Amino acid sequence: MIDAVQLAQNLVNGFGLGLIYGLIGIGFCVIYNASGIVNFAQGVFVMLGGMVCHTLLSRLGLPISAAAVLTIPVVAVIGILMEILIVRPMWNRGASTFAIILATLATQMLIEQITLLTLGDQPRTYDSFTAGGPLKLGGVAISYQLFWVLGFGTLMVAGLWLFFTRSRMGRALRACSQNAEAAALLGIPVKRMLLASFALSAALGAIAGILVTPSQITAYNVGTPYGVNGFIAAIIGGFGSASGAVAGGLLLGILQAFAIVAFGAGFKNVAALTVLLIVLLVFPNGIFAGVKSLWARRT
Amino acid sequence: MASAPPLLELRDLSASYGHVQALKPTSLTVAEGELVTILGPNGAGKSTLLRAVTRLTPGTGQILFQGRDVSRLATHRLSELGIIMVQEGRGLFSQMTVRENLILGGYNAGGDRVLLEARLQQVFDLFPRLKERVDQLSSSMSGGEQQMLAIGRALMAGPKLLMLDEPSLGLAPRVAAEIIATLGELNCSGLGILLVEQKAPLALRLAKRVYVLSLGRVAVELPANEIGSHHDLARYYLH
Ligand SMILES: Nc1ncnc2c1ncn2[C@@H]1O[C@H](COP(=O)(O)OP(=O)(O)O)[C@@H](O)[C@H]1O
Ligand SMILES: [Mg+2]
Repeated sequence: MIDAVQLAQNLVNGFGLGLIYGLIGIGFCVIYNASGIVNFAQGVFVMLGGMVCHTLLSRLGLPISAAAVLTIPVVAVIGILMEILIVRPMWNRGASTFAIILATLATQMLIEQITLLTLGDQPRTYDSFTAGGPLKLGGVAISYQLFWVLGFGTLMVAGLWLFFTRSRMGRALRACSQNAEAAALLGIPVKRMLLASFALSAALGAIAGILVTPSQITAYNVGTPYGVNGFIAAIIGGFGSASGAVAGGLLLGILQAFAIVAFGAGFKNVAALTVLLIVLLVFPNGIFAGVKSLWARRT
Repeated sequence: MASAPPLLELRDLSASYGHVQALKPTSLTVAEGELVTILGPNGAGKSTLLRAVTRLTPGTGQILFQGRDVSRLATHRLSELGIIMVQEGRGLFSQMTVRENLILGGYNAGGDRVLLEARLQQVFDLFPRLKERVDQLSSSMSGGEQQMLAIGRALMAGPKLLMLDEPSLGLAPRVAAEIIATLGELNCSGLGILLVEQKAPLALRLAKRVYVLSLGRVAVELPANEIGSHHDLARYYLH
């Protein structure tokens, strides 16, 4: 028998985690949309967000707000370095997108190993942003951190939407993704835009990592699972808008919650990868584009 | 008094794709306020020439703009100087609206809203059709409207030299004529234009000079009004 309270609890957890997957997925979309590159090192930005924030909290004794505000630019600089040291030289030599994507995967492993050697292999976590909780609703516990995740998630989606549709730079980034040559002909510095997309994407990853760490643990090797789930969220969302990625993440998180209740915790990743395969097979342009085009065909 | 340097001067500009030299060393000039037409059959190297000038395709040789050597500048820097190209196939941002395409055209204005608004008004005056469709996706418009948008977007960039790669390609003759006439108006108001076409009976009425490109090199350079007296050229390019 499936216990209703347990199911509800898992759904709440899945919702929170799914939101994080969505935020990670947005990071994939930002770089992909500016360059056509899928940055498989996206997960390390999430890992670094948690690890750097933890280090600032524990070594310097900063309050969480200060640690978070410092962590974001630090991780953004790592994203910038990655673009300058690895992606740009390959891009300039005319490397194929495929080769660059492989290089991002190698970068992921490299940064994981550097983190392991400098910060150690101990898993770690820190307190929720607000003390107290969890909120009890029936038998279901809702941690206060979930509200922080929800609040920042909403802010990020709205902020990115404004950025990409209203600001000069956001529009220029989209222009580069749709037609890089035309963008350059209009005076848009395409290479600088690629750099900006790595900085933005790393910052977004860091925010996700800072937000998720209190309810999970962080360690040098959490980047891969976060990266994979964020990637799946982005795929479900069609690798386009921020809201698509978040919706994809929520769908994924909730499906994983069902899988845990129905088949046990070991099936969490099986569920995620099954969803990925089904989406790729049935809706190669993402579920939302797929539904839209089905709808368009009907009407 | 020394005469002003030409708006654009190419000295032995050439460009290759791999081992194939698609553009042999080519020299040409466009004076301030002049409309020059480049004609040539498919594959003659016309697009390669424009791509080499804008450095979308790297070339060798010299590019002088208003007397200044700009051969080593990146594409976006040339755009800032006022060298603006409308690509073959228009190069619109297909998933953006007409308005967004136009605003991006004004990227060089650096977010100066007053300047952008003034240029937008000029473009709408020139192409009222774009104003009606301002919130439509660019890909949902007809070919003629898309070409108007491509030109309008280029004008938003504040060009000193406007280069167009086969703007009448694939358009109904009446629409093509309308677009060529607009280019004539722009030229009359002082804009230097380098117009590439395969055949151009209409453009030749506006142009002062014509270069005929063949197999990657300039085969003939002559005043536009003389092309009629070259029977072989007239037969090919005027009809
Ligand atoms: N990207 C490319 N790679 C290899 N060859 C090309 C490329 N683009 C054009 N060419 C070749 O260069 C020559 C000139 O092409 P192009 O400049 O496009 O001619 P036009 O614009 O006059 O039709 C042609 O032979 C064409 O096949
Ligand atoms: Mg061509």
